[in-house]
Amino acid sequence: MSAIPRLRRYAHSLVMDSSSADDLVQTTLERALSHWHQFDQRRDMVVWMLSIAHNAHRDTQRRNMRLIIIDPQALQTEQDLQRSDPGADVGLRMDLLAALQRLTPEQREPLLLVSVEDLSYAECAEVLQIPIGTVMSRISRARAALRVLLDGKPVATVHALHRVV
Amino acid sequence: MNTHSHPTDDRLSAWLDGELPPAQADEVEAWLADHPEEAARVRLWAADRDALRARLGPMAAEPVPEALIEAVWRAAPSRTAWWRWAAALAVFALGGVVGAGAVWRLQADRLAVAATKPAGWVQRAAVAHAVYVPEQRHPVEVSVAGPSAEENHAQEEHLARWLTRRLGFAVKLFDLRGQGFELVGGRLLPDAAGPSAQLMYQAKQAGADGAPPARVTVYLRKPEGGTDFAFRYERQGDLGLFYCVEDGVGYALAGSLPREQLLAMAESIYHQQPGAK
Repeated sequence: MSAIPRLRRYAHSLVMDSSSADDLVQTTLERALSHWHQFDQRRDMVVWMLSIAHNAHRDTQRRNMRLIIIDPQALQTEQDLQRSDPGADVGLRMDLLAALQRLTPEQREPLLLVSVEDLSYAECAEVLQIPIGTVMSRISRARAALRVLLDGKPVATVHALHRVV
Repeated sequence: MNTHSHPTDDRLSAWLDGELPPAQADEVEAWLADHPEEAARVRLWAADRDALRARLGPMAAEPVPEALIEAVWRAAPSRTAWWRWAAALAVFALGGVVGAGAVWRLQADRLAVAATKPAGWVQRAAVAHAVYVPEQRHPVEVSVAGPSAEENHAQEEHLARWLTRRLGFAVKLFDLRGQGFELVGGRLLPDAAGPSAQLMYQAKQAGADGAPPARVTVYLRKPEGGTDFAFRYERQGDLGLFYCVEDGVGYALAGSLPREQLLAMAESIYHQQPGAK
């Protein structure tokens, strides 16, 4: 259960909407707990949990496919509301996260797993149930797409990015 | 491989993630050194990666919302509700990882309220432990120690049957030999709601400086009706207590041992449960 904080982080980076993200975490934990006996102790628990989260997320998306039309403007507003802690670099944050949300899920997921969750390509492939080669190409496409999105923004963003380096 | 060919973006990206074998990584590095524009492009990827980390990384250090934990604990399909104990054990077993502590504290806080009822019997478990553990001549009512292994076994069976009959639920005598503790025996005790039982275990090895071998006790009882699931660790002075209430039975493991050692025992007890996988 120490996986919960990381699970939450991944869920939040995937879904962005706080309550849906926690719903996803909850679904994941429930599934994990009811399949507890299937967990192979030699495996990394976080990887196992993340793969359950991935499946749960995919299920939810399938269910909601016809129901939700994402309005980028609404999404932006939503994020503004949720992440309005003062003192942080708002310009960078919004642009980066907004750009992240505009990637396709196929690109976003492996990029997050490898960049933020520090998974290896092999672990990432395990979580997403895709070949390693596919992980590699999706990540590189995600990076290129993210760059295009971020380059479309004011120069300030780029400066901000450099500052982080 | 032609070292002068333009590496694909996939390759550059894999290089950035440290996923290339050393020889290939060296090639990419050498190539990037000769192609500053491409190198700048890769640096931007790296900057994006770092920005993502910087922005999303700290989330894992945030406390887990209590509502979430509560929901998970409550949402149990109670067919073999032992999984909840398993889950709770995992919280301890993996303790030390960032966040586990937060989870634990929240859980403990929540249960501190929910567990006001069990606290009464847990207190009795602690008292019973304190009373009988120092006892040298009559630590138990029914001893399982016999002159031979067969008689040992017969005594154990007798003890289990006796306690099962008196307590009204299946009593299993847990085997803690894996933890270096041998069953001494058990006794029947009065508790508010009816009889309870205490199983006593003794370390095979004597303590340091000729101290008598360490003892731990497992206190068993039927909880009051409607007592919710609870799993807690409590320390009273140098006495550590792991206790669990499950829809059939309440268990309290008590011992003056380090938490980790007690945890290993609690885990072992869990695995020996008839309902456990």
